[in-house]
Amino acid sequence: MLSFIFNEAMRDLRRAGRVGVSAILLIALSLTALGGFWLLSLNLGRAIDQWGDRVRVIVYLKDEPPAARLEDLMQRIEGVGGIQRLRYVSKAEALRALKRSLGSQADVADQLPRNPLPASVEVTPDAAIATPEGTRALVGRLVALPEVEEVQGGSQWVDGLAQFRRLFQGMGLVVGAVLALAAILTVTTATTLVLHLRRDEMEIMRLVGATESVIRWPRLLQGMAQGLVAAIVALAALEIAYALAVPRLEPLLPVTIGLERVTFLSPLQALALIATGTMLGAMGGLLARGRAQA
Amino acid sequence: MIRLQHVSKVFGAGPSRVSALSGISFHVAKGEFVVLTGASGAGKTTLLRMLYRAETPSEGDIEVAGFDVTELRRSEIPRLRRSIGIVFQDAKLLAGRTVFENVAFVLRVLGTPRRDITPKAFAALKAVGLSARAQALPHQLSQGEAQRASLARAIVKSPGLLLADEPTGNLDEDMAGEILGLVKEIWSRGTTVLFATHQARLVPLLKRRTLRLEGGRLVKDEG
Repeated sequence: MLSFIFNEAMRDLRRAGRVGVSAILLIALSLTALGGFWLLSLNLGRAIDQWGDRVRVIVYLKDEPPAARLEDLMQRIEGVGGIQRLRYVSKAEALRALKRSLGSQADVADQLPRNPLPASVEVTPDAAIATPEGTRALVGRLVALPEVEEVQGGSQWVDGLAQFRRLFQGMGLVVGAVLALAAILTVTTATTLVLHLRRDEMEIMRLVGATESVIRWPRLLQGMAQGLVAAIVALAALEIAYALAVPRLEPLLPVTIGLERVTFLSPLQALALIATGTMLGAMGGLLARGRAQA
Repeated sequence: MIRLQHVSKVFGAGPSRVSALSGISFHVAKGEFVVLTGASGAGKTTLLRMLYRAETPSEGDIEVAGFDVTELRRSEIPRLRRSIGIVFQDAKLLAGRTVFENVAFVLRVLGTPRRDITPKAFAALKAVGLSARAQALPHQLSQGEAQRASLARAIVKSPGLLLADEPTGNLDEDMAGEILGLVKEIWSRGTTVLFATHQARLVPLLKRRTLRLEGGRLVKDEG
């Protein structure tokens, strides 16, 4: 019985001819777009995570603490909670950093009568609180310390990141839903056409006593097979596009989005794309049955 | 094998209401050969369609091969149809498949073990004298051959009941005689047969019990 159902499904696929091939190509196109979006999303997500890691809060101190009190101060700052790392930057070190950044014009700094830069503490928040609300709360706790003059950084930058991520995820959902719907409708149309071609066979099947599942399964398998082939074509297209684009893009990435390299879908993610294609095809096959019966 | 009690069938409602069958009652015993006759439009096809539950009666009870057809649930219809072989006026052969594949198709649909399919399909083809045309496609067959292939397809699953709906309607006299002979042979092996025909000249040839429908009513049951 299984071989009958499988053979009938393959026969239907062959019979669908150009319509079947068009359906496969359209699903492949939809899945390529979906997969491409996913690939971009994954890599941008990695970039966003890395940016998140780089979020710094700078705590400017009123006075440079004497060496004997430095450890106590650092402990009290760490004690406000939500801090992953902190690093003390003395007035001298801040000046050296300024000179480094001025490069050939570093001697401008030497003209200063005294070092105007304050001592500071660079705070890296915990990943768990690298959110707009978490960072704002941390800044509030740090400002409350009596030795602190001013606290900068963090909140606005994290706000921007979070908004960008939300926008990106929203776009992904909308584009993904539209493309998935297009893929389902394509399979539905192709399978409906095959059902019309096969109506004589289905009539005979019903007359001789075939169960509905025997009549239904080949349609389902046909849709699944179309989705599977389309997903494999889509994966191959993505792999080729990746191989062609990455050598050109990678040199630009560190200076734009801060990524060292672009990664492809993992084997598990590739399998998920194949499963999505197969599932979309199956849904198309099932919907076609309803449409043909209607 | 078949029992109908006060069966009526009405199509449509209001002004477009048509009574196709009215107050039909009869019984066909297991192993019997019964001819169902009447002019075109008398209700023969509607009656046969109700026997394999392609239509439901508007009133009355139908029992076929132990199934209460009137109360049969949708999921049980395949079981009823497995016990019935059906042939039609047009052979309804599947165009893209050979004669052998048309016959084997039934067995494959019903989940017959693969090793049994070829011998059973060839046995059915042999029974209707069509073994030599097993690899022919439907469009390469004469009308008589196509009807014999249709008979082979109906009997390949060894049904207890054969419903023949005008199987000789499109055939000339010689071919019709051949088909009649084959149906009688199938009946002689124990299959119950209900043979519908509008061709009055065939009825005396069959020399069997005859049910006559006129305007949807059973007007004669004799023989």
